[in-house]
Amino acid sequence: MFEARLTASATFKKILDAIKDLLNEASFDCSESGIQLQAMDNSHVSLVSLMLRSDGFDKYRCDRNLTMGMNLANMAKIFKCANNEDTVTIKAQDDADIVTFMFEAKKQEKISDYEMKLMNLDQEHLGIPETDFSCVIRMPSGEFARICKDLAQFGESIMISCTKEGVKFSTGGDIGTANVKIAQTNNFEKEEESVTIEMQEPVSLTFACQYLNSFTKATPLASQVQLSMSDNVPLVVEYQIPDLGHLRFYLAPKIEEDEN
Amino acid sequence: MGILGLSKLLADVAPHAIREGEIKHYFGRKVAIDASMCLYQFLIAVRNESGQLTSVDGETTSHLLGTFYRTIRLIENGIKPVYVFDGKPPELKSAELSKRQERRDEAQKALDKATELGDATEVDKFNRRLVKVTRHHADEAKQLLTLMGVPYIEAPCEAEAQCAAMVKGGLVYATATEDMDALTFGSNVLLRHLTFSEARKMPVQEIHLSKVLEGLELDQKAFVDLCILLGCDYTESIRGIGPKRAIELIKKHKSIEEILKNIDVKKYPPPENWNYEGARQLFEEPEVMDAAKIELKWTDPDEEGMVKFLCGDKQFNEERVRNGVKKLLKSRSTSTQGRLDGFFTVLSTTPAKRKAENKKETPNKKKKTGAGAGRGRAKPK
Repeated sequence: MFEARLTASATFKKILDAIKDLLNEASFDCSESGIQLQAMDNSHVSLVSLMLRSDGFDKYRCDRNLTMGMNLANMAKIFKCANNEDTVTIKAQDDADIVTFMFEAKKQEKISDYEMKLMNLDQEHLGIPETDFSCVIRMPSGEFARICKDLAQFGESIMISCTKEGVKFSTGGDIGTANVKIAQTNNFEKEEESVTIEMQEPVSLTFACQYLNSFTKATPLASQVQLSMSDNVPLVVEYQIPDLGHLRFYLAPKIEEDEN
Repeated sequence: MGILGLSKLLADVAPHAIREGEIKHYFGRKVAIDASMCLYQFLIAVRNESGQLTSVDGETTSHLLGTFYRTIRLIENGIKPVYVFDGKPPELKSAELSKRQERRDEAQKALDKATELGDATEVDKFNRRLVKVTRHHADEAKQLLTLMGVPYIEAPCEAEAQCAAMVKGGLVYATATEDMDALTFGSNVLLRHLTFSEARKMPVQEIHLSKVLEGLELDQKAFVDLCILLGCDYTESIRGIGPKRAIELIKKHKSIEEILKNIDVKKYPPPENWNYEGARQLFEEPEVMDAAKIELKWTDPDEEGMVKFLCGDKQFNEERVRNGVKKLLKSRSTSTQGRLDGFFTVLSTTPAKRKAENKKETPNKKKKTGAGAGRGRAKPK
């Protein structure tokens, strides 16, 4: 028996909005410690890693480890039927082939439940090596989303260069070039607005706009975003979901063409 | 013709081995393309109402048009193609080849009759059946590829075997052909429909040999024997043993020798002087160039050279050719997107449970018809 109850169904809506562009379907691994999801997009360029800790739920019960394969578009349809303030309960029997989502309105005058067929999906569990990143940047998530959206108009890829002074986002295309520089700022009164950079050595990597813009769909989940970079390893874009867990995106960098 | 009914069998028995994807997912991949197969496709498919496209002298240019546009399409999607041309056919293929010649003669007769009667659709139909890739076509295609900066390789023998050797040698990611025998030759990954026209909206089929073997519960040796039983280009198969029986027998006895010992030879007489051993050897140790000795180089296209070659006598539109060159140059200058595969290690794979396979039966049946229709497009030699 699996049961997880969360007062804010809006959180789930936001998570689904953030990942449904990258993934058509995914397996949710449920265990005592929480719900986990790890999946690459079809072309194996990006990876979504979601962790929702069991203690972040209002009620959580998982007797046996359970993997639920779900079609994310259909799941999003179901969550569209819920109001943001509704409480959601996810239920499944052991070895079941359906999952139930129950939405309860604030005053409990309305209860709706939706059953969805589960899918059996091929699954690859990937080992993600621990990396000491050369640069870790924390900045307002809205600002990051804005930059990605703006620069995407001018080129297909964005170069992110991180130095002691700050971070530079740049791109170029047929029209010309675009550069956005952000300096480190410490705003102690409003921590969510500050930009911090932890740097061992300067890094400069290029990434596809298309994927960055998919990642920034997670902006509503957190006020800050953390970008971790090292030479020749994937970028990690991390959103902390308050009191519940995190949503991380990994993105393979673009590589300069060597002579075959 | 490849292996008779293998794609259908795989769709039934090992559906996990076949994955469908879009062409754009193959960016950055080097792919060995079976050139004769491709040229044949172009000669058949690239036509207008009055038949094949021709130069001023009435020589066909369909193969060049196809090579030009479809290669550009691959490169625009970030794929690095290398074309592999057939060498001399193996001796064992002569029976199959003479059979094809017979069919061609029949088609010619039918064509003459249809022309006499003035039946346009019939004429077109038999004209297509008479299409043959000649040395001249291949040479022209090679010339064009050189101008486009795309490498090609001349196989000593069968192109599929050479492609497979290049995949095994890690030189390229996959073999692109419609012929299933690329798998029999040991190509780890086979891509089908890669060079089809965009308008057909056919998804690219990716078939993994390791998953095929896993799904069929066979090793490569037994798989080769299975392919011979199903029917290949190099020898005959046993009459009365279809795909279902073939897979059952192979699973039980593991090799053709054992099967011959155990089946009722009167009921299923094997062909006289059945040279399955020769065919097997051809699949297992084909005549190929050592992959380690092959060097692949993609270079900038020669714009003026292409204009000179394609426009003029061959009646290509100069503007279109120049546009194509621009596309090639643009794709060469952009950096390629990396993949995560190299960074993360696969800890474990959990294939979908058995339960799922039973449920999937209905879509498989759909696939069957699709595969059946696809078979007709295999190349005759």
